[in-house]
Amino acid sequence: MTGPWAVPVPRGYRVGVWEVRRPIATGAFGSVYEARRTGGDPALPASAALKFLPTGTGTPRHLAHLRELADREIALHRRLRRPRLIRMYETLTVDDPVRPGLDGATVLVLERARDSLAGLLEVRPRPADGPVLLAQVCEGLAQLHRAAWVHGDLKPANVLLMADGSARLADFNMAAELEGTHAYTPAFSTLDYTPPELLWSEIGERGRRIRPSADVWAFGVLAHLVLTGSFPLPGGTPTARRDAAAAYARGADELRLSPELTDAWREIVQACLTRTHAGRIGTEALLRRSQAAAGAGRSPGGTLLSRLRGAVLPRGRPRGRRAGIALGAAAATAALAALGHGVGVRVWPGAGAGSTSAAEPDGIGAAVYGAADLRTDRGVPPAYRLLIVRTAHDCGRPGVTPPLIAAMLKVESDFDPDLTDPAKDEYGIARWTPSVLRWWMHPDGTPAQSVPEPPFPPAESIPAMGRYLCWIEPRLDPGLPGDLRVLIAAAYRTSYAKVNDAHGVPPKYRGYAGHVAHYLQEYTPPRRR
Amino acid sequence: MYSIIVVPPPTPGDERRDGRLRLAPGERLAFGRSAPDNDLVITHDGVSRRAGEITAQGAFWILSNLSARHTYVVENPEGAGEHIKVAPGRLDAPVPFEFSRIVLPAAGDLLTIDVWAPRHDYLHGAGGADGEPTAPAFSVDRSKRYFAVLAALCEPRLRGDPHAPPPTVDQVVERLRPAWPAASRTSVQWNIDYLAVKLRLKPGPENAESGPRLHGKKESLVSLALRFDLVREDDLAVLAAPQGRAPR
Repeated sequence: MTGPWAVPVPRGYRVGVWEVRRPIATGAFGSVYEARRTGGDPALPASAALKFLPTGTGTPRHLAHLRELADREIALHRRLRRPRLIRMYETLTVDDPVRPGLDGATVLVLERARDSLAGLLEVRPRPADGPVLLAQVCEGLAQLHRAAWVHGDLKPANVLLMADGSARLADFNMAAELEGTHAYTPAFSTLDYTPPELLWSEIGERGRRIRPSADVWAFGVLAHLVLTGSFPLPGGTPTARRDAAAAYARGADELRLSPELTDAWREIVQACLTRTHAGRIGTEALLRRSQAAAGAGRSPGGTLLSRLRGAVLPRGRPRGRRAGIALGAAAATAALAALGHGVGVRVWPGAGAGSTSAAEPDGIGAAVYGAADLRTDRGVPPAYRLLIVRTAHDCGRPGVTPPLIAAMLKVESDFDPDLTDPAKDEYGIARWTPSVLRWWMHPDGTPAQSVPEPPFPPAESIPAMGRYLCWIEPRLDPGLPGDLRVLIAAAYRTSYAKVNDAHGVPPKYRGYAGHVAHYLQEYTPPRRR
Repeated sequence: MYSIIVVPPPTPGDERRDGRLRLAPGERLAFGRSAPDNDLVITHDGVSRRAGEITAQGAFWILSNLSARHTYVVENPEGAGEHIKVAPGRLDAPVPFEFSRIVLPAAGDLLTIDVWAPRHDYLHGAGGADGEPTAPAFSVDRSKRYFAVLAALCEPRLRGDPHAPPPTVDQVVERLRPAWPAASRTSVQWNIDYLAVKLRLKPGPENAESGPRLHGKKESLVSLALRFDLVREDDLAVLAAPQGRAPR
């Protein structure tokens, strides 16, 4: 471990109930330290991994995107807890003006792992339990994808190995929740694990569009590396391999996988590393095949035990000093040993740890999502709160607010996702006219190839509405009289030019504007009014 | 997935909006006078039938001079005279510039083909110590003019007004003049367009409807640059750079 540490933290440093012991790893953005608990909530483990992200204003590497990366990771941990994903116990903020380098840093208190897959591969390439580890990585991916998240940066350094030798996914800085078929991740990538369609891909203001199939490609690369010790694409440097990936995707070259792969794994890797995302194997099918391939050639008990392990152990805590289960042992033995320790140990209480000292309550429900911006007691359907609040925040302009979007949906359709009004050619919760929706339906701002046909589900209608509103706002003349939000709504009904020409809401739309103004008032939390 | 962009010489009468040719690593583009043999036809009697080939090689490109007599010069337009010569018959000469102008001597005329290599990589920050780094998807050369233009665009927001509209092209020209006396509307606009290509900006909806609207493009560049910290407050120094240290 050479090179500078992103966040140097002295041994013995105290954050919350934690005392920093020794450094574990550093990345470009943050550094991870082992820490032990000094008193405090006994529901917390005795030791944990503390990830310091330098998000403070005085830290030398104060960078806007770090805040975003930290928020992404925290958002994922708050909303998802799955057996194959590393757990977060709490988040803390360092309050230490004496140390400007640390003051304001975000600290994620995470489950402690014994090693990372990258560390294991360094000392032992082609580990004997590689197939089992891969099946577990795939379980993690399936758990993420089922919950509609994309990892976005799957690589050996982000696969952690627990004390019992099992694998869990970590590092959710790039993770993103799917919106329809895509998610948006910050434009960072690790070359060797980036699918060809994302190499030099276009980047919109919200980041890079990514699909779950990007994780599937990365899994194919990871599997090849774990099983054969080499990357699937030829080249001595990541840049050379990137060019090889580009040539392969273009059809200028074939995929030549290592002969060391068994037939089953060769088929799996091939199914992951297809030229286009559309041809890639789905996560569920990938999981079934990886589990079958990991079990193949072993005793039937091996498969059963690895399943049992997946089901039972992650919630249990193998007791302290048994860190030494040999990784190289055959899967069945490892599983048995781990089982022996796992059964009967205390099970962590579900969410207890997270909610006590975290900055925000754990597990925000749909009914109160975004309560600070949008009232919860005035009949905005919980199902749309997330979409409404996110859509408004994605815009980031002062006039486009969650209450405005909610008020407009109320007036347009009374939140009816199935509205059809062929006479006016308007459909769905936001009353989109198909020929107009065409220009706003894609998050990246490109128009659709053809005019879309209804139905327009809310997940499509509401973000498209937000994009249109966001486009309208800067086009309204500054200094128009009246509430900016109501003017935006009127411009949505007619056009920004008509509103500018009329120097306010045109007479024909005053009734509509009045309704919107009424619900704006209704939906805005009191202190925001 | 392209890494190289070839901008053919302007042809009178042919005002196609985008005559740019994009090459992915490994792709080859032949240029010369004869139509069947070349991907890029240069209709000038002084140009060889098969004049040369441009091949994208990762993030850079190589030039083959297939002519019998003419030496081609590849200039770096921002390089204060920096150039390389490619002798007749020389194959696969590597070109290191981000911006290049191939100058073809043709019976008394000098024809130019511009070639851009917007995917050059640069070292970013301290880097991590655990294996493969997770790298930002953009690399910018802080000594280039486009960086000064980007800094000027971002300046109002970096100076503390989060919702400031980006400056107009004329304001950018004024702002850059101390460090770049030759700045003009055209050159600034060119750099804005290049930034949109380099940062791989998706065309906004307004472009699709009624031709390019500059406001949207500048706005998008600024939000992208600030979001990914391509320009930070200390980078604003490039705007005030004294003559000697001006962006070239």
